[in-house]
Amino acid sequence: MKTPRRSRGAVSVQRVLAIARKEVMHIRRDLTTLYFALAMPLVMLALFGYAVTFDLDHIRVVVADEDTSAESRALLQHLFAGDTFVRAGDVPSGDDAEEWFRRGRAGVALVIPRGYGEHVARAEPIDVQVLVDAADNQTAASVLSYVGRFGMMENERLVRERVGVAPSRIEARVRALYNPALRSALFLVPGLIAMIQSMMGVILTALTVAREWERGSMEQLFSTPVSRFHIVVGKLMPYFVVAMIQLLIVLTGAVWLFDVPIRGSAVVLAGMSALFLLAMLGQGLLVSIVTKNQIIATQMASMTSMLPSLLLSGFVLPIENMPRPIQWITWVVPARYFVDASRALLLRGAGLSAVKDDILALALFSVVLLGACMVSFRRKIA
Amino acid sequence: MRGVLIGLIALVRKELLQTLRDRGVLFMLLVAPIVQLVGLGYAANMEFLHAATVLVDQDRSPESRALCRAFAADSTFVVRDVETVDEAERALREGAAQVAVIVPQAFGRELVAGHPTSVQVLIDGSDPTRGVQAGAAIEGFTAQQAARAHVRWPVGVSGVSGVSALPRVGLVPRLLYNPRLASRIFIVPGTAASILLVVSTIVTAVGLSREREMGTLEQLLVTPLSPLVLMIGKTIPYAVFGLVDATIILVLGNVLFDVPLRGPIDVVFVGTTLYLVATLSIGLLISTAAKTQQQAFMAGLFFVLPALLLSGFLTPVSAMPWWIRPVTYVTPTRWYVELVRTVLLRGGGYRDVATQLGALAALSTVVLTVATLRFRRTVG
Repeated sequence: MKTPRRSRGAVSVQRVLAIARKEVMHIRRDLTTLYFALAMPLVMLALFGYAVTFDLDHIRVVVADEDTSAESRALLQHLFAGDTFVRAGDVPSGDDAEEWFRRGRAGVALVIPRGYGEHVARAEPIDVQVLVDAADNQTAASVLSYVGRFGMMENERLVRERVGVAPSRIEARVRALYNPALRSALFLVPGLIAMIQSMMGVILTALTVAREWERGSMEQLFSTPVSRFHIVVGKLMPYFVVAMIQLLIVLTGAVWLFDVPIRGSAVVLAGMSALFLLAMLGQGLLVSIVTKNQIIATQMASMTSMLPSLLLSGFVLPIENMPRPIQWITWVVPARYFVDASRALLLRGAGLSAVKDDILALALFSVVLLGACMVSFRRKIA
Repeated sequence: MRGVLIGLIALVRKELLQTLRDRGVLFMLLVAPIVQLVGLGYAANMEFLHAATVLVDQDRSPESRALCRAFAADSTFVVRDVETVDEAERALREGAAQVAVIVPQAFGRELVAGHPTSVQVLIDGSDPTRGVQAGAAIEGFTAQQAARAHVRWPVGVSGVSGVSALPRVGLVPRLLYNPRLASRIFIVPGTAASILLVVSTIVTAVGLSREREMGTLEQLLVTPLSPLVLMIGKTIPYAVFGLVDATIILVLGNVLFDVPLRGPIDVVFVGTTLYLVATLSIGLLISTAAKTQQQAFMAGLFFVLPALLLSGFLTPVSAMPWWIRPVTYVTPTRWYVELVRTVLLRGGGYRDVATQLGALAALSTVVLTVATLRFRRTVG
């Protein structure tokens, strides 16, 4: 059947909407997936807001007090005075401490040698050993800095007790901007938004075309007078709406539950999210078109979207610490630009000029990915 | 009984051959884990290396200039001088610097007089971990500077015969298991858990749903094998692949990232097998509940992500709030990550991971039972 060329080439809103409506009917037949899609962001938000944190206290310390003098007891008393360190138990000597580490019952061991009290009383230098389970390097690093600070304060106290005054020192008064309480949630949530968006965007669209290829309904679609442009745009539309709803859910949850501020322009943020979404949806559709197989589509989709968003976007792991080759790879991860820009907008209140590079990058990604969709669609038909 | 065994072996062989022929699945089972491990291992570097610092010297005394020079000389800080506090704050806001150090006006004078002095430090709180690290680095640095710039005593204190007559307690840290505090050594064991989790949960769930959708599952039911044997036969290949993956990860982790193997390796394999049973059961359970492949995938994802985040793989369980801890007890990933870390890094043996093995066994039993019951019901 020959179709007039004009009707194939023209961009018709009607046709786009028809495809979109068909897609919506597909979605409605499988509401469970939709519920998952809407519930997942909330679950992730809750997880990242509450569970994923680097803030540490109540560090369990096992004590080997080989001196048991008044001075050693005073040291211990001061150490466990606050919330930072908790006394997990006592062992006769330092050698027994490792077993506590292996069983996971303590992360630090304090070994006070015999003669500690005497040395302090005679004002002679004496060393106390602090064994740290460094298998968890983040905890260990925090422990080291806490211990260092404690050592400094304890020494000052001893000197002051002796002499009545403390030596002069240069104190660094630290104030954290944008996040005075240094809550991990504020750091993680902007990146979390990126991750959820990228995941959902890619996965949802990845499943649509692949499913149609497998069922055979894709060929049926091609026999209609609808051009590939209409197909691409029409298919994307419902998922775009769903993803924007997700964004709204996540932002509301973040602001409401975790007091994440929106210091910059909300309009710019919305526009940027839309661009990012388009890029991600385009990526999903591309995967879908290329793989034609649902299992592979889903796995490729999650590998190319979830993992990079989690690991390479600057979300949890800092980019500047990565080896050079991997830093280069992050340049082609759209999530990286979104994380960067959303942190600046949300937390630091940066203006449009500061994030325009990121926005341009996202726009470029959208155009390239969506264009690739249309091009590869054609190849498959022919 | 013998007939069942023969049938089972035949089924397992069929499944293995089928999987080996399916390139896509093979890719997912073998190549993807390697890529993930290598990528993550190299990317994960959470140590604090250097901070972009802006310095505002409001004092311009010899002492303040000495301090600024010392800052610039230290390789931990990449220092840029600016004129005003506003410029410093702008640099922080735009992300050009992570730390701003402001030396106040009377600094030099106070230091010479022996009074306590301070410098103000502004850190970019939008990245708390690194902000805190930067702040701590500066605190340590200024303390060092004070000690170096001769400890000064307030005027009028007599009877102090010198610094050496004062008590000095040194808290000497010794780092066990990971003396260089390398992030990789912490993360790679967790990566093993995550890769295995994805393979055995999502791939299983989707694979089994796929068979149901395609109708090939019903064909298998015509064979004289009971549904139970069928189920075991279908999941064994994934278990095999899981073990293969685990071995690859261990070897690569050791070769590429210096992850040690200090404990007995059989403990690792026993733990891995238990973990695989637990996660495969979960995959099976999902496949019995999901109606389409898409649903199976989403449900799998729904389980995998929290399981990963709550496992202590990226962030320590001890840092989590108390009301989340109970949830981590029913997460097999948490126990497996602990087990692997204890054996690999701390040299633990069976007795040290008894809790973890017990928990994994308990979880496996429960989930496997539920999955089996459901499988029988939906298929039989």
